[in-house]
Amino acid sequence: MVLGDLGRRITGALRNMANATVIDEEVLGSLLNEISVALLESDVNVKLVAKLKKNIKSVIDFDEMAAGLNKRRIIQRAVFQELCSLIDPGKPIWQPTKGKSNVIMFVGLQGSGKTTTCTKLAHLYQSKGFKTSLVCADTFRAGAFDQLKQNATKARIPFYGSYTEADPVVIAAEGVERFKKEQFDIIIVDTSGRHKQEDSLFEEMLQVSNVTKPDNVIFVMDASIGQACEAQARAFSDKVPVGSVIVTKLDSHAKGGGALSAVAATGSAIAYLGTGEHLTDLEPFETKAFVSKLLGMGDIQGLISK
Amino acid sequence: VFSFFKSLTSGTTINSEALAPVLEQMRLHLCEKNVAQDIAQKLVESVGASLQGQTKSSFTRIATIVRDTLTKTLTSLLTPNRRVDILRDVIAAKAQKEPYSICFCGVNGVGKSTNLAKITYWLLQNDMRVLIAACDTFRAGAVEQLRTHRNKLSALHEGSDRVVLYEKGYGKDPAAIAHDAIAFAREQGFDVVLIDTAGRMQDNEPLMRALTKLIAMNTPNLVLFVGEALVGNEAVDQLVKFNKALQDFSHQDHPRTIDGIVLTKFDTIDDKVPVDDTRANLSLLPFISLLPFLPSSYPLVFSCCGPDFLFSRVFSLLSFQVGAAISMTYTTGQPIVFVGTGQSYHDLKKLNVQAVVSALMSA
Ligand SMILES: Nc1nc2c(ncn2[C@@H]2O[C@H](COP(=O)(O)OP(=O)(O)OP(=O)(O)O)[C@@H](O)[C@H]2O)c(=O)[nH]1
Ligand SMILES: Nc1nc2c(ncn2[C@@H]2O[C@H](COP(=O)(O)OP(=O)(O)OP(=O)(O)O)[C@@H](O)[C@H]2O)c(=O)[nH]1
Ligand SMILES: [Mg+2]
Ligand SMILES: [Mg+2]
Repeated sequence: MVLGDLGRRITGALRNMANATVIDEEVLGSLLNEISVALLESDVNVKLVAKLKKNIKSVIDFDEMAAGLNKRRIIQRAVFQELCSLIDPGKPIWQPTKGKSNVIMFVGLQGSGKTTTCTKLAHLYQSKGFKTSLVCADTFRAGAFDQLKQNATKARIPFYGSYTEADPVVIAAEGVERFKKEQFDIIIVDTSGRHKQEDSLFEEMLQVSNVTKPDNVIFVMDASIGQACEAQARAFSDKVPVGSVIVTKLDSHAKGGGALSAVAATGSAIAYLGTGEHLTDLEPFETKAFVSKLLGMGDIQGLISK
Repeated sequence: VFSFFKSLTSGTTINSEALAPVLEQMRLHLCEKNVAQDIAQKLVESVGASLQGQTKSSFTRIATIVRDTLTKTLTSLLTPNRRVDILRDVIAAKAQKEPYSICFCGVNGVGKSTNLAKITYWLLQNDMRVLIAACDTFRAGAVEQLRTHRNKLSALHEGSDRVVLYEKGYGKDPAAIAHDAIAFAREQGFDVVLIDTAGRMQDNEPLMRALTKLIAMNTPNLVLFVGEALVGNEAVDQLVKFNKALQDFSHQDHPRTIDGIVLTKFDTIDDKVPVDDTRANLSLLPFISLLPFLPSSYPLVFSCCGPDFLFSRVFSLLSFQVGAAISMTYTTGQPIVFVGTGQSYHDLKKLNVQAVVSALMSA
């Protein structure tokens, strides 16, 4: 997986430090620089990188460190703790409740992969035995309903939408009501792409949220996103209660660092990763498992479980 | 008197120690503006190299000199060295009884189809007849998306045959559809054929081969790479690999590669600064010195000149995080032909180089 590249760079930097004969401020400085470059190249937010660097520096005091103390271990632990807190929002991933209708609303920037991912997630829930449905509340994008309809038909998932109704709020309300009446377990609402700079689009999102009362709001983001990610992710979660993040297009070359910044901005965990254009290209994301994978080496794993 | 002035102006020699912290600050600044990490690095290195050993007057601060040099570097980077008039080229092709064809390519979801529709609008405003070739035969709804645009555009412009959709549904070979569409356009006297292709990841070899086949087989007059302003470090990789695939997978001596860039979603990147745009601003500065890192094999620089439609529209909104523009032009030396600034047909602009550079340099 692509985020793994970042892990390799970081463990490499740590290994370089382990090879140094004396650990002094200079060695720490170059370690932190290497890590910073790796993070920046992965599109992690510039300010987060600076903060991470500062935090690590602040816990390491060369003057106070007793000569006998293992500086390497202290530095390694500090690095990993900072990385963990970057990735892990410390909030469990939302799960649907059995025996009721769970409404999931998808939101995100234009073209991030919402419509495609909606069907993937619906397909996943359906294969787990949930009675699943899709609602197309995107009346803006040309061909949006056709797109969802064709995807849903292929995946054999009941769907709701309209070619004539122009108000997404109306469609969302009708669709959710219909599927609730028919006792569907999962109702996934797809919405138009939008961005924080356009207030009316954000207002529309809030209204769709108000009428559908989602149990979970999923923020979908593209792995290739750069520094704009943090501000956008924050704005979305300020407007609607984002509960999880899905990072798409990880089958690309992108290192997905923007995703880490989104976690920091929204305080929500990454639930799934999109890894292709096909129905089954969706992988669950486990923060803990990911962190240990990122760390790679066994002895370091011991460090963080403390 | 002379020696007095001399001692004032000769001042001190700029050494690397004095430069280093200023360059580092500049590098971080560029990263924050979303310039790809390694390009920010190379940019400040080239600024450093050009300043190293030069003398400066003792009155000027190093930071000011670095700023000025970087501003110049960025300006020449973004400034096209030659303008090609799409409309003029269309008319020239027409004299040969040939339709002028433009192929849109890029990764998934960046705005290829939408900006194709905006360019259709612009062409229709300029009295062209346009055929849209639906060569994304993969993504659900791709054909209906274009049909919806075609119908809307047709309603906006008199004569329903001025814009027509050429489609063969899903699952068919895109290269063959493009071929047939061009033949159809020739027969029916269309001025322009706009070829929409499916989004694809730059590392997906089968899909990159398919795109190369379409382009090699149909040799469109213009190959536009569509990228979004939101993209970060990936910008470089996308462009390099698209260009390389078009070279490597083609079996031609002179393969068609990317001629220009459409940078979309400019409206989605951070705070906007009002920029006063006039015709004068758009008359681009001469391309003074080709930077050493600009591949000289890409001499073509396009701009959508001529139409009052574009020039009269004030490119009034600009973002603070305009770094993707730098990453993309740096990578191929290709010009940004159009900028997408929203989701309606009017939201197609020309890049204002000075505005972008000042946004990049702003705090
Ligand atoms: N390679 C790849 N492509 C993806 C993935 N997820 C989505 N896509 C593609 O990305 C493009 C945009 O996806 P959509 O689902 O239409 O995006 P959206 O967020 O619904 O777009 P709007 O509704 O216009 O905002 C399509 O070409 C999808 O096939 C992924 O994980 N990998
Ligand atoms: N805000 C904004 N949105 C844009 C712009 N250009 C395109 N979009 C939106 O981006 C989304 C994706 O656009 P498409 O034109 O479908 O992208 P595409 O590259 O053709 O996508 P695929 O064919 O699936 O790869 C749509 O919601 C568009 O409305 C722009 O300049 N600004
Ligand atoms: Mg959609
Ligand atoms: Mg498209």
